Amino acid sequence: MVSQAPMIRLSSGFAVPFGETFLTGHERLNRELEALFLARESEEYRNPTPSHTPQAETFESRFNLFKWPEPCVRELRDFVLSSVGQTALHASTAQAEELGKLTLHNHTWYHISRYAGSFVAHNHPLASWSAVYCVRAGERVPEHPGSGLLKFFDTRVGADSYLDPSTRRLKAPYALRPREVRLEAGQLVIFPSYVFHEVTPFYGRDTRITVATNCWFA
Amino acid sequence: MTTASSTLQSIFAVPFASVRLAQPDGLNLALAAGLNPLATPAQGDATLPTDPFCFRSREDLFEWQGEALSYLKQELLAGLCGVVRAANLYTEEQFRALGIQAKARFVIVRPNGCLPAGSLPHASWCAIYCVSAPDPNPLRPDSATLRLYSHRFGGMFLDSANWNLRQPFHFGHQLWHPIPGDMAVFPAWIPHEVALNRGDRDLMLIIARVRFADPRVEGQTLPPW
Repeated sequence: MVSQAPMIRLSSGFAVPFGETFLTGHERLNRELEALFLARESEEYRNPTPSHTPQAETFESRFNLFKWPEPCVRELRDFVLSSVGQTALHASTAQAEELGKLTLHNHTWYHISRYAGSFVAHNHPLASWSAVYCVRAGERVPEHPGSGLLKFFDTRVGADSYLDPSTRRLKAPYALRPREVRLEAGQLVIFPSYVFHEVTPFYGRDTRITVATNCWFA
Repeated sequence: MTTASSTLQSIFAVPFASVRLAQPDGLNLALAAGLNPLATPAQGDATLPTDPFCFRSREDLFEWQGEALSYLKQELLAGLCGVVRAANLYTEEQFRALGIQAKARFVIVRPNGCLPAGSLPHASWCAIYCVSAPDPNPLRPDSATLRLYSHRFGGMFLDSANWNLRQPFHFGHQLWHPIPGDMAVFPAWIPHEVALNRGDRDLMLIIARVRFADPRVEGQTLPPW
């Protein structure tokens, strides 16, 4: 009698949707955004009600960025919000016509990080989708390979409390570890707002500039 | 209108303890003097990414020789056992019958460095003992603190009645300020980190993961570390 390998269908359960895209031809837009953001790195534009202990090395703007009238901001707004809408549509059983009848609201801001700037792990209550766009990635520092990463924490808290050789090296998307993203200029990542994430300390000698948004449909 | 009688209590709570070791000053001087010269690649944990601002030794510290280390191991485990005993339903006699296993490393978080977030597999309890710490800076309240991550997702809906809950109910992270001679004890599964050290001196910690086995329970085996 010959034993046959059973047919196995391996699939994901309880998965977290994660969207990613690049803005083609982002160089001009990012130059304009960077100049605008640096010019407004001041008390007038700083978030007056930070949700976490502010770090002097990271500037956080007010959350009304996508209401600014500047053409470069409008251009970024169109790209980011349309990408969020597409991601939500791909991940949902809702039809395009249903989502199209809704208004996509947002809170949007920017961060400028300098040497040893970081942002503590957090998630975003009262929003469904969040996204981060990279205006400037900042210097890569070989002796600090973990510098300036956008790190998403595994939502399966406690799942790695017991590891054996069959679970220690699980492949994506099953791996039991944080997902680390080294953003590149023009890159946009989109994820559910409940996922905890942080920015690891940035050790470049220049600046790391990102735009973040929280979105909800109503 | 009458006032209803009510009882507010915690459910699904996470035990956390801060333990002060007896007369730690001499111990800490000896530990710092003995361990600082050993913060070298040869004693570092080769399985972890190298970080010039955060040294992590191998996890066999409790097997190293030295009077100060032996004394620390004894006091650390005694303090931890007191916490575990207090959080459990064991009688003194039952608890004494348990076997204890521990692995430990020393960690030096240098200025502008941090200890990345993580949890500790294959252990039930974590103990973090502070050997030396930079002076507190009121302008940087989270500098070099141990941060236990909030792990409850109920905070995704916030309104005026739950955004400002008092301890231990609120949804934010928990901070513990390392003071030389103090030790934090908490469940090993909780994600935790040491926030960026904004001071001008090193933070030295001993981090132990600990587990217990009941030798009377037939067939009880623990996984390899």
